[in-house]
Amino acid sequence: MSTATYWLAGVFLPLFPLSMAFNGLFNRVRNAPLRATLLLAWPQVGLGLGLAAGVPVPHWYVSLALFTSALYAFRALGVREVGQWVGYLATSAWALLWVALFNGTDLQMVRLYAFGFSLPLAMLAVLGSVLQQRFGAAYTGLYGGLAQMLPRLAGVLVGVVLAIIAAPLFPAFFAMLATVVAATPRMPLAAVAVGGIWLLWSWAGVRLLQGLIVGPADDSRVVDISLTSTLAYTAVLVLLFFSGLYVGGGLL
Amino acid sequence: MTMAQLIVVVAALPLLSAVLIQLFSTRLSRGAARLSVTAVSITFALAVAVLVAAVVRGASGQVALAGSWGIFLFDPLSSLMAAVIAGISLIVHVYSVRYMAEEPGYARFFVLLDAMTSTLLVMVAAGDLITLLIAWHLVGILLYFLLGHDTRSHSAHRYAFWTLITYRFGDLPLLLAAGLLYHAYGTWSLTEIFARMGAGPALHSVFGLPLAGLVAGLVAIAAFARSAQFLLHTWLPYTMAGPTPVSALMHAGIVNAGGFLINRFAPVFVHTVSVLPWVFVVGLVTALIGSTLMLTQNDIKKSLGYSTMGQMGFMIMECGVGAFSLAIFHLISHGVFKGTLFLGAGGVINEARKDDGIPKDELYTFVVERRSARLRRPWILMAAITLAVPVTILMIAHSLVAQNYFQEQGAIVLLFFGWVTGAQLIFATYRMRTGNLWRLVTLSIFSFTVVVVGYTLISHAFDLFLYPDEAFRQQIYAAANIGALRFDVLMALVAAAIVAGWVLTYYSEEYGNGRGSRRGRLWLTFYALVSREFHLTDLFSRMARALLMTSRRLNVWLRWV
Repeated sequence: MSTATYWLAGVFLPLFPLSMAFNGLFNRVRNAPLRATLLLAWPQVGLGLGLAAGVPVPHWYVSLALFTSALYAFRALGVREVGQWVGYLATSAWALLWVALFNGTDLQMVRLYAFGFSLPLAMLAVLGSVLQQRFGAAYTGLYGGLAQMLPRLAGVLVGVVLAIIAAPLFPAFFAMLATVVAATPRMPLAAVAVGGIWLLWSWAGVRLLQGLIVGPADDSRVVDISLTSTLAYTAVLVLLFFSGLYVGGGLL
Repeated sequence: MTMAQLIVVVAALPLLSAVLIQLFSTRLSRGAARLSVTAVSITFALAVAVLVAAVVRGASGQVALAGSWGIFLFDPLSSLMAAVIAGISLIVHVYSVRYMAEEPGYARFFVLLDAMTSTLLVMVAAGDLITLLIAWHLVGILLYFLLGHDTRSHSAHRYAFWTLITYRFGDLPLLLAAGLLYHAYGTWSLTEIFARMGAGPALHSVFGLPLAGLVAGLVAIAAFARSAQFLLHTWLPYTMAGPTPVSALMHAGIVNAGGFLINRFAPVFVHTVSVLPWVFVVGLVTALIGSTLMLTQNDIKKSLGYSTMGQMGFMIMECGVGAFSLAIFHLISHGVFKGTLFLGAGGVINEARKDDGIPKDELYTFVVERRSARLRRPWILMAAITLAVPVTILMIAHSLVAQNYFQEQGAIVLLFFGWVTGAQLIFATYRMRTGNLWRLVTLSIFSFTVVVVGYTLISHAFDLFLYPDEAFRQQIYAAANIGALRFDVLMALVAAAIVAGWVLTYYSEEYGNGRGSRRGRLWLTFYALVSREFHLTDLFSRMARALLMTSRRLNVWLRWV
């Protein structure tokens, strides 16, 4: 695999500063379905490049990947715009796929990890547009009180954020677990770093939820999402949950 | 159906109830509580049946749901803990039926409570590392939502976040320990890992460090975070904004998980050399600081929070001296009395608003007004009783259950603490203003005897139930031992410090506190430090704010891409 292809893979499985390409593009795309498609397709392109190579991942890539992941997880703490938050979390999560590749994890499994990271992020991108339609902006700390005002939307938001921050039984949980466990004996510091990044995700996720769902209701005119939409989101979350259990957890 | 399968049912029932309530909450309305209480009542009945089977048959087993994880253990520890959790959960459920009736999100509360009960039951019955990690992690998340049940309250969510982030911090060492164990033994099953480690404890090392010691250290840190040990404790007293039943469940059950975890990994701890003495030190520091902070609080719930911290310190300390089963007995008894206190706190506050209810008797003048009897004779006889009686009672009580008990350092430490407590009790009784001193002293000694004998017999019964193998019990105590000379020096130093404390207290009360003097100012500085909780909360808050500020600045510098 040529150096150029490695750099190209570093754009799609984002490595800092190449990660700016994805975040710049993601910021420009405002259409929710397009954003969702971008989130689902982007890491798969990167993994496709890796597949063509069949060459071991250089050690320094792992260090850069961990730095990138930690940087974007840390930056997500200070972000209030939901779209940007999604972009940062996506960058942080996809960068960790390099660690899984370095650990020799089967490429098909790494693709599933990527999908497990991306699907809830894509859902949140769509939910961000739902918030924008109702409030004019998808911004934490601006209105709050969604749990009181829009209980269905708040419930779905909680589920999606839990899936993103790798709460147990969602696919991302098993991806993180496998990454830490595989890294522990060979690269204990990398394992600690992945654990620390996971901790930052939890912090960022809670900040996002607290800025959106907590607080008194202040605008009762806003309409909640429909029952059909709620059921659709819930169905995807349940699917994610069971796919985590059976595919990621290897119960099959 | 085997007992191992029954324990799966025990854990599954509250989960089923949670799912049903979530699905039919609109139709169920107030019936959600009835469904929840019924499910947990059956859970409790089944858990008791499992415990009885474990006590009577003494058998153990396991069931694997599928694949290499999802294993549930039926052993003395899991059956005992399952019965305790189901019992405490049932009480909290029954209490919540009316307590939460006026709160919004009534059905949601029972969904979360049932999910938490189920997760705790899975945690104590987990027979493999993945199941344990999942349950361990989920407890933190569910607790966050339970503490933040009032979605209007920013402060409730703020402190719920403190809890979550501390718990997540504690997840990390357990995760690393799991990774190390899996790589060393190639299995997730705890039973197999413990068996293989027992067969060759020194076979594996990581970067020159013995695997058992490293894993035990990581497990201990995970336990510290869960059980609010010093520096990881700040979340505990501040989580009072959550509903009272959640506080009760947290203080009576969830926070005790550290003691459980150390017991679960006992087969690892027995192969360590210097981990348990460190566990003891952390527990001791936590017990002292928690108790000191408790004394300075004027809010009953916060005071209870620090009291829990002190008790958790004592529980971890018991693990540190090798008295693992005693820690389990402690966590159960603490759970019962702290749960009662929390559930009764609201009533006490309400009644105190009408009438403080404090009888102006001898105890009140002694404890609250700090008026003690000054010249009392015969003080030499009383001093002899103060020092000799507790130690005699302790020796007799412990020699009833084991002749070689006094050969273990851990046992000597516990006896020492018992002696100090007994001596302080008699000393305090002696200084009370009372017409009939001997009656009061006799009653104190009698109650002390009842407590010591009861504690000794019950803890010995726990020992036999949880760790029936005598050799294994000896191994745990041996793992907690330090060098004889170091031990003797430490004991002498601690004894000297305690006696010096007594003398200082005596002279302070006899000749006044020296207000205005340098010592008085020092005392005031110390009091200010304690009342500000050693500024740890401020420090952590500042650190968090600084991190958030740095994150925002980074985003600005990097143009938000």
